[in-house]
Amino acid sequence: MLNVTDLHIEIEDSFIPETVVHDFDITVSAGEIVGIVGESGSGKSMSALAIAGLLSRKDMKKRGSILFEGEELLTTPRSRLRQIQGDDIAVVFQEPMTSLNPVKKIGWQVEEALRIHSDLPDDELKKAAIRMLKDVELDDAENIYDKYPHELSGGMRQRVMIAAALICDPKLLIADEPTTALDVTIQAQIIELLKRINREKGTAILFISHDLSVIRSLCSRVVVMNKGRIVESGSVEEVFNNPKEEYTKHLIGSIPGFTKIAHVTQSENTDKILEVDNVSARYKKITGYFQIGSKQKLVVKNASFTMYKGEIMGLVGESGSGKTTLGKTILGMLDDTEGRIVHYSQRPQMIFQDPYGSLNPTKTIGWILEEPLRINTDYDKEKRSARAKEMLSLVGLDESYLSRKPNALSGGQRQRVCIALALMMDPKLIIADEPVSALDVTVQEQVINLLVKLNKELGISILFISHDLKVVYELCSRIIVMKDGVIVEQGTDKEIYDNPKDPYTKQLLLSAGYTD
Amino acid sequence: MKTVLKKSITFIFTVLLVTFFVFIAFELIPGDAATARLGTNATPEALAKLREELGLTRPFFVRYFSWLASFFFGDMGTSYSYGVSVRSMLAQKLPITLTLTLMSFILTVAVSIPIGLLTSKYEDRAVSTVLDVTGQLTMSVPPFFLGILVTYIFGMILHMFTPGGFVSYNVNFVRFIGYLVFPAISIALPKAAMSTKLLKTSILSERNLDYVRSAYSRGNSTMDVLYKHVLKNAIIPVITFLGMTLADIVAGSLVIEQVFSIPGYGRLLISSIANRDYPVVQAIIAIIAMIVIIINLLVDILYRVLDPRLRDM
Repeated sequence: MLNVTDLHIEIEDSFIPETVVHDFDITVSAGEIVGIVGESGSGKSMSALAIAGLLSRKDMKKRGSILFEGEELLTTPRSRLRQIQGDDIAVVFQEPMTSLNPVKKIGWQVEEALRIHSDLPDDELKKAAIRMLKDVELDDAENIYDKYPHELSGGMRQRVMIAAALICDPKLLIADEPTTALDVTIQAQIIELLKRINREKGTAILFISHDLSVIRSLCSRVVVMNKGRIVESGSVEEVFNNPKEEYTKHLIGSIPGFTKIAHVTQSENTDKILEVDNVSARYKKITGYFQIGSKQKLVVKNASFTMYKGEIMGLVGESGSGKTTLGKTILGMLDDTEGRIVHYSQRPQMIFQDPYGSLNPTKTIGWILEEPLRINTDYDKEKRSARAKEMLSLVGLDESYLSRKPNALSGGQRQRVCIALALMMDPKLIIADEPVSALDVTVQEQVINLLVKLNKELGISILFISHDLKVVYELCSRIIVMKDGVIVEQGTDKEIYDNPKDPYTKQLLLSAGYTD
Repeated sequence: MKTVLKKSITFIFTVLLVTFFVFIAFELIPGDAATARLGTNATPEALAKLREELGLTRPFFVRYFSWLASFFFGDMGTSYSYGVSVRSMLAQKLPITLTLTLMSFILTVAVSIPIGLLTSKYEDRAVSTVLDVTGQLTMSVPPFFLGILVTYIFGMILHMFTPGGFVSYNVNFVRFIGYLVFPAISIALPKAAMSTKLLKTSILSERNLDYVRSAYSRGNSTMDVLYKHVLKNAIIPVITFLGMTLADIVAGSLVIEQVFSIPGYGRLLISSIANRDYPVVQAIIAIIAMIVIIINLLVDILYRVLDPRLRDM
């Protein structure tokens, strides 16, 4: 049905053309699910967008052939391409939060493709949209039809995107990282939904992801991409069980798969470093002139736990569970909190999730690293700069980075800088809030190894906040599970993973694919 | 409902503050209505007598609150200079200033939205560059100078109107509008240039957002994406700007009335300030403040119509 051969994509930017995709070949037969896997910048999304006819920027040159049902899409006129888009080929994108138009009703957006590609009257369109919303397991379809995107959760929005894509019953669905921005339990539901649609309607799916375990559970064939080229392709069993290329082996080896990083052992130290006793945190909502704070939302409810020196403790939960709020509360970053927090160390630090937004883009790395010293100490320029160099080399970056600005760094390098920044004040406790979620698997692994090294060599205790049970399993010796602001369960890794008591913990483990 | 209450409170507070400050300002500047009317050669006895008659000898707060109380019931007092009811004076001139303001505002919107769409659509063509440069030029000219320019070109050279030949609305409505078109252009052009530029930038940045890609993936044409998806999102910051501009337009119309010899609030305000004619000044300023606030209120409502995310706030 789809037959792509020799696809090249070139960006003609600033006089030097750069080829971002080379010799890309892929075939998708009717009813088949094919995966494209690769890390960010591998060209996988670019290739998929080209197939969907969505790479129309003037500075992008495409060569090769994209045959869809015998029709050459690369040379077909725009007007014909529009007839195919949304009708025969539909796309679901990564970001359900931003992929829907914020000022249009859900119903209007779900029916849009059908409105464009058919002459059905409004009431028929509405019927079709509601049927489709029900089909993607949104039970309250009639109600959702009249809602706006901001009134729905991320998982619901992604279902809406899928409904909007499937309303014309397309032959090919291109899903570009559709589950990446979602929580694990929701991810598993969306994958099941796609499987069901494929089974029931025979829709072929081209599934793009950086997540190898998702690809493995969904696809029959897979194409592995790296730096704009296809490294390896074949059936999922072949590629996963018997990878031929170095890169594929490396990629598969980096998947966190419920294996302990060997040298992490449970801390035998019984000296406390942190005590959290019955802590609650709330956000105030300003609702009017005279009712400041009248609407309060309790985000963390009566949390209690203790951390010991040299320990890596996991704090697990899905988005909205209050885990980040708890982290901030521990560091005194929020005003409206109750309960007792005792620190047995000085200057605990936090590392944030988003290495892109956490560093001031107008300053050099050196300036950023020295800032805490400038504020808190009377070190002179030389002493500050020496400390910055030392910390950079500790996180594996050389001193040439001091004069660079954050934009010149990759995501992984930025997260290293963030870690170096946290280390500047020589803390004994670091709260790491989803430090690897925004990174590619191979980079994730490096950052995790770095955290383990800091823990071992400098004896730093780490409260590791994450939604990813695999990563937590890799490095944490004790784990706290949070849901809706409440700690539902805490215990050692063995207790949590092998003998979970709370039904929510069980559900999380199931969604993450943990089997004893 | 809460919003309406909130806005009403803002409304009342703003009018109170503005009129109060005007009162204070007149306390601070030298000279009063009595010296303004009788001149510098008047005897102290005559001045004292007139002050007594005008009620100027009463304490500051008594004067302010008695003015406020009567204003609240629709009595704006009597003009010191003309000895007639301020209310009837202003009622006669209100349609002139209001028409000029509204015409300028409508012109700003009517010019900037189509041109903004056009320049964003042809962003890399010559027409867009020409419009950009013209806009930049227009933006940097102050309205009063633009007014003189318009008078010269359309009045003296093209004879499209007679400068100084203002016709009031109750004499000949069509010629009244015909005359006001030119001052309205002088006020509107710089504002239109700014809002054109804002709309263009807003459209261009909206076009990079994810939902636009989704819209294309469903088979929308470029035009449909622009009109059905982008425009409603891109217009929101422009509405903010237009709301803020309105106060500017009112202020601009006061100046432009001088340039085009239009007997509206602007000219009356300036002469009344010179004559220390408090009741007139107070009333004009209170009315202008109310007009500005009411239009801002309408903009706020428009916001909620356009952006569903604001409705719950």
